[in-house]
Amino acid sequence: MLNLERRRQFIDLMAESAWDVLLLYGQSWRKDFFRSLINFNFFGPHAVAALTRSNEISVVLSHPWDCELLEGRVDAAVTWDPNFRGAVRRLSSGKTAIAGREFMEARFVQEETVSATAAVEAVRRFKTPQEIDILKQAARLADAGYQYFVDTARVGMAEYELVAEVEAFLKTNGAEDNFMLIGSGGTEIFGMRPPTERRLQEGDNITTELTPQVNGYYAQICRTMVLGEPSTEQRRSFAIFHEAQAAAQAFLKPGVNIKDVARVQNDVFRREGYGEYTGAKYTRVRGHNLGLYPDENPWVLEDVDCVVNKDMVLIAHPNTYLPLSGYMVFGDTLLVTEDGCVSLNQTEKKLFSKL
Amino acid sequence: MTAQGAHIERPYSAGGIVKRGLITWDKSQIPPEVFEERVRRVRTVLSERDLPALVVYSELWRSNQGRFFSNYMPYFNRALLILPRDTPPTLLCGLSPRVYGWIRSVTTIDDVRPAGNFSKPLFELAAERKWLRIGLLDLVQFPYDIYQALRGGSMSLVNVESAAVFSPADDKAELEMRLKAWHDAAVVLEDEIPNGVGLVDHHFVGRLERRFRRAGVEDLIVLLTNGKTVPAPPAGVTLEEGFSVSVALEYRGHWVRLSRTHGMMVATSPALVERLDGSYPYECGSGKIRAEHYEYVHNGKRLFYGNTIL
Repeated sequence: MLNLERRRQFIDLMAESAWDVLLLYGQSWRKDFFRSLINFNFFGPHAVAALTRSNEISVVLSHPWDCELLEGRVDAAVTWDPNFRGAVRRLSSGKTAIAGREFMEARFVQEETVSATAAVEAVRRFKTPQEIDILKQAARLADAGYQYFVDTARVGMAEYELVAEVEAFLKTNGAEDNFMLIGSGGTEIFGMRPPTERRLQEGDNITTELTPQVNGYYAQICRTMVLGEPSTEQRRSFAIFHEAQAAAQAFLKPGVNIKDVARVQNDVFRREGYGEYTGAKYTRVRGHNLGLYPDENPWVLEDVDCVVNKDMVLIAHPNTYLPLSGYMVFGDTLLVTEDGCVSLNQTEKKLFSKL
Repeated sequence: MTAQGAHIERPYSAGGIVKRGLITWDKSQIPPEVFEERVRRVRTVLSERDLPALVVYSELWRSNQGRFFSNYMPYFNRALLILPRDTPPTLLCGLSPRVYGWIRSVTTIDDVRPAGNFSKPLFELAAERKWLRIGLLDLVQFPYDIYQALRGGSMSLVNVESAAVFSPADDKAELEMRLKAWHDAAVVLEDEIPNGVGLVDHHFVGRLERRFRRAGVEDLIVLLTNGKTVPAPPAGVTLEEGFSVSVALEYRGHWVRLSRTHGMMVATSPALVERLDGSYPYECGSGKIRAEHYEYVHNGKRLFYGNTIL
């Protein structure tokens, strides 16, 4: 539960930065900074772990149930306090840095504290061996979840019914959470969103981003399936996505820059005459880091300057709209190795279809 | 540790990173006039305080206020809902413009704009409309980055306390929706709990996910216990006789929370372990919508029971 390697890294970071206390704040939507030190899935709205330069840890939770569940399970002083603002103030001392300061409620933040968010994100970017093992488990569950998605989708089913089935499958198989979006239809579909009441039709492109969370960590898979025999346009479109993702995977290795991981994907679209569909009007990012948050920095974009290194785990996904067949997605979770990268997903790299 | 009489600010938030249930607007359940009436009350307060607009912060886990005024329920990311005194609402949205059509289809909002860092588009809107001051709902509870960015502008920021405009407990449609959510949840739990004994907790949660999400539930948080601890996320244990389950669920933006015990036994020495009485209006409201959860001890086993009470 206590990430000992991170603890050591954070202590080093505190010494370099002359911080006396590092607060790792978590709230319902962003538990990741807290969980990067203490991997506990808290229930209540707030949690904070305070690490001192003398290597002591105190934890304050805002719900008593969390306190009962964590107390005695981690080498730290654990308490709960409904007055979270007061608790944060008590934990602050000397030069206090806060990871997650930006999304704390303003009433919790003392002006004299500083943000540790970017520095802690940079440390978290490179996964420990234990984290990589968990991410591999999450990727396997993503593969199983996608197979279930394909097996379950059928003409006449509402999008939200399909998502309900997949959610049940993932939870049954131990997922804590799941980041999932879906889209269905044809060239009128420009992206993914939560499921609607739309019923699946023959010939639909069905896109999904499945991102199960296992023991805190998210791995992702993006695939597109066609309900029925894919059309010539759907096949042609998929071939572009396939080539773009393959270009990223072949390129990704220590020392390359994230902006070039985006560029090699976009170049495939440009070469095919679809360069305009690589911009913000039609797509968001060409991938992103993964870990305790499913959309970690760096985002894979041509204007993001970040050098790749071993043990980063990220997805490269050239997801975008193309006029050939509408919005399409395709991507794998990739682990950067000594001299390249490997996919943590085992799902076949193809345009799925179901007759 | 059992915290008797614990007073928790915000109950329904163990949750996830994205809402993947059905987000929709059924106008037969909540007609547009309901939202118009809610916004009318805001406008009255704005007039009384000589404010041109009210800004409401919204995110995945703090969506009740924005939803109350517009039916906007973010599935991810953050947004500012701007309710001007004289014109229709505007949403500054962190989501991609590619989903703005969908947002328009499930809310009362037509004017959806990219948020950027929130302050720039808000200042531009203010300049466009010649606003020199603006109201912000529960200003000190805005995320610190947005709070700081807004304070960096030349506009005067005026706190508007929730109680002045956000009154879910006095709102018939709100109460009816919560009652429906509570009723449907109670029925599903009554059906499913008897079949839970002997199942691995993950499997039981999977059953609940399927039932609730197919019934149109937007979000769901399930905690369980075999009676040795408080309810906790599933951990791969087999459920035993007398297990308790605590479910928080969101139906069309309306949260309720229930705890039930398998084969509910006779209560002895109940201890109130959690009371939510509206001190945190994002999820409750003005004392009339509250949740109470009780712990009972029976033959050494800790049992949990509770409801959202309207």
